Amino acid sequence: MLKRWRIRILLFLAVLGPGFITANIDNDSGGILTYSNAGAQFGYTLLWTMIPITIALLVVQEMCARMGAVTGKGLSDLIREEFGLRMTFLLMLLLVIVNFGNVMAEFVGIAGSMQLFHVSKYVSVPVSAFAIWFLVVKGDYKRVEKVFLAASVFYIAYIVTGVLSQPSWHDAIVATVELPRGSIWHSKSYIYMIVAVIGTTISPWMQFYLQSSIVEKGVTAKSYPASRLDVIIGSFFTNIVAWFIVVACAATLFAHGMGPIREAADAAEAMKPLAGRYAFLLFSVGLFNASLFAASILPLSTAYTVCEGLGLQSGLDGGFKDAPVFYWLYTLLVAGGAFAVLFVPNGKLISMVILSQVLNGVLLPLVIIFMLLLINRKDLMGEQVNSTWFNVVAWLTAVVVIVLSLVMMVTGGV
Amino acid sequence: MHEKHTSRASLTLLLGTPITDRQGRVQGRLKDVAVATGLAAGNVAGLLLKTREGIRLVAVKDVMQTPAGTIELREDAVLQPLRGDENLILLQQDVLDRQIIDVHGRKVVRVNDVDLQWFPQNGREELRVAEVAVGLRGAIRRILKGVMPRHTLETFAMNFRSSIIPWEFVDLIEVDPARRVKLKIEHERLAHMHPSDLADILEDLSPPEREAIFVSLDEEVAADALEEVDPRLQKSLLESLDSGRVADIVEEMDPGAAADLLGELSDERSEAILEQMEPEERQEVEELLEFREDSAAGRMTTSYVQVPTAATVADAVRALREFDGDPEGMTEIYLTGKEDVLDGVVPLARLILALPETRVAVLSEPRIISCHAEAHQDEVAELFDKYNLHALPVVNAANRLVGVVQADHVIAFLRAKQ
Repeated sequence: MLKRWRIRILLFLAVLGPGFITANIDNDSGGILTYSNAGAQFGYTLLWTMIPITIALLVVQEMCARMGAVTGKGLSDLIREEFGLRMTFLLMLLLVIVNFGNVMAEFVGIAGSMQLFHVSKYVSVPVSAFAIWFLVVKGDYKRVEKVFLAASVFYIAYIVTGVLSQPSWHDAIVATVELPRGSIWHSKSYIYMIVAVIGTTISPWMQFYLQSSIVEKGVTAKSYPASRLDVIIGSFFTNIVAWFIVVACAATLFAHGMGPIREAADAAEAMKPLAGRYAFLLFSVGLFNASLFAASILPLSTAYTVCEGLGLQSGLDGGFKDAPVFYWLYTLLVAGGAFAVLFVPNGKLISMVILSQVLNGVLLPLVIIFMLLLINRKDLMGEQVNSTWFNVVAWLTAVVVIVLSLVMMVTGGV
Repeated sequence: MHEKHTSRASLTLLLGTPITDRQGRVQGRLKDVAVATGLAAGNVAGLLLKTREGIRLVAVKDVMQTPAGTIELREDAVLQPLRGDENLILLQQDVLDRQIIDVHGRKVVRVNDVDLQWFPQNGREELRVAEVAVGLRGAIRRILKGVMPRHTLETFAMNFRSSIIPWEFVDLIEVDPARRVKLKIEHERLAHMHPSDLADILEDLSPPEREAIFVSLDEEVAADALEEVDPRLQKSLLESLDSGRVADIVEEMDPGAAADLLGELSDERSEAILEQMEPEERQEVEELLEFREDSAAGRMTTSYVQVPTAATVADAVRALREFDGDPEGMTEIYLTGKEDVLDGVVPLARLILALPETRVAVLSEPRIISCHAEAHQDEVAELFDKYNLHALPVVNAANRLVGVVQADHVIAFLRAKQ
């Protein structure tokens, strides 16, 4: 009996790969902050966004995975070939800036979560930055990927936290399937929060990262169905985790009228007297894990994407000499992110992160539109072009993202 | 006067240039540059103009460049619509931003720009592709075009390192087989490359591109390259080929490598391939397939030279000449008695130094080091290390010679284990 279960679990894990990892990194420091705030400020009233967002995430991610499997090329490769060097260069420039902002946010998460355990950021940030850098540059990527996959298990911590916070399950489930009524729609900050939740769930770098990972793994059109399952499981899991974060904060912070928080770590701190020590512990360990995880993948993915698109040598097989741009970009992103968190004053740091989020809003629609143009090309995708209803959902996502991003940019950001 | 010397122009800066007639009226803008293939390879056949009536092709002999850098149509210029069967490579569409194989530098690179060259011929100007640019200079031109005036950009770009590949070393990759034939893209130069370099190139490409290159290689070259590529890739390369073609390639491979490859494939697939193979090669491979992959037999090849113990050096040399396997990796020959029982080992060097009539038995090593077919590969590696071997004969339970493990196979599996 035990053996049969073991085999089943192994079969399940064998399917998990790039799709699952990518979706999980999505719940990074910035994501946790946004979901926590959604719960802390608006209780259960934002839970309805989870189902449409899951579908949108799934559709966008599935397109990337499919493109990777069929064409055998990364997204930046394809954009370069079909839309030219200048467009690619601009996209890459935006991506580097946006991702640098994200990397900073990850280090904020690392610093914040370790501070909860009374570890100074002057210790936690440099040590983590060095560990991340060393693991990727000097380590073996295959092993690194396994570590990452194992780290995904820690996201369950948030599900447990959600349970420990003793929410009203009935209210939470009703709020998930029903739109809130009344005056809440007139609240500007409520609309902002919807934008933020979408923005943090579907982010541009994920598409590049997922497609490259699929190519790297050698997935072909034939073996693609397994990867599709991987993407589906990933999209659901990541949003279930997000749902529990919202619920946990709604049941504690919102129920006690604590209002908005500024850092994800604040949520853990505030939870301590309300939901107990274990909830606090799980929330902060989860935050540390998520930030560390994302802080190692984000710079790596950025370096890969940029080098791929610009036709520069990339990859972890060579060294600084073989792929100088790749290694330097990676190193600078990690070191720069850590440095900024340690030495840039808080106010400036926040405005840098906001700037990168605004650019994120510019980049995301562009990436989705490019993807849609590419995936509907018969000469690239053959029979695997998008089906009509897929196109409808994807274009709808693109339009919603564009409109929301414009609203956000015009009215001045989160 | 302008037509006397050669001058250079980059495709990036040329594209979009207005094209005027003798009276200075703009007839269209340059959309693409069409290059001939086959015998006239590298010569620009014509320019594609975007006119008000649509896309038109004009022969290079009908245009001239003006001192201002624009292009002017000659008096008698003919503008034809595209028929679609011109067999021309379009630089902007087919080359720019695409991956190409640098045959000389033995790697896959992405094209940033193409450098063209005007040169005088019979009183008119001809245009030729000089080289493709893959470095920073070409990239800067592409990114900043239109941002600053052309001459400023040209001078500015000169500050950056250029990295170029002459057109004759460029191999285009075309995934559409029909178009590949039409454009006469044959990749025969890849055959001169070292199989390991070729394998690296294949690994750098996407599956459809890889396939396009692989199917154009002849069996022997394909077999050599296949031995060197990553096992995971081997499978995907063969996926698209029919069993008959795969059988032809596998026959050319070293039997040990062929057995490893077939072992990776599904049973039905490998069965289908074996059925198409010549009986002799098939039997060799089938025998090897019986063994565990991590045993000495799983790592050995059955391609080696053996002579009877009673033979002379002259006989041995004759046997070597008649040997139809790969002679490069060979370091020794084996002496066998009745029923192929291993009797001795003679290093090639000793064979060369000896007189033709000498008996090979005299030259044999005093101690024969061999291993059993079932031995684990780690044991094989230990023997290589301990006795500083280049090759190790493998025998069965009756001490009959069944194969040989070469040093390069040992290095390969030791590295794979890391």
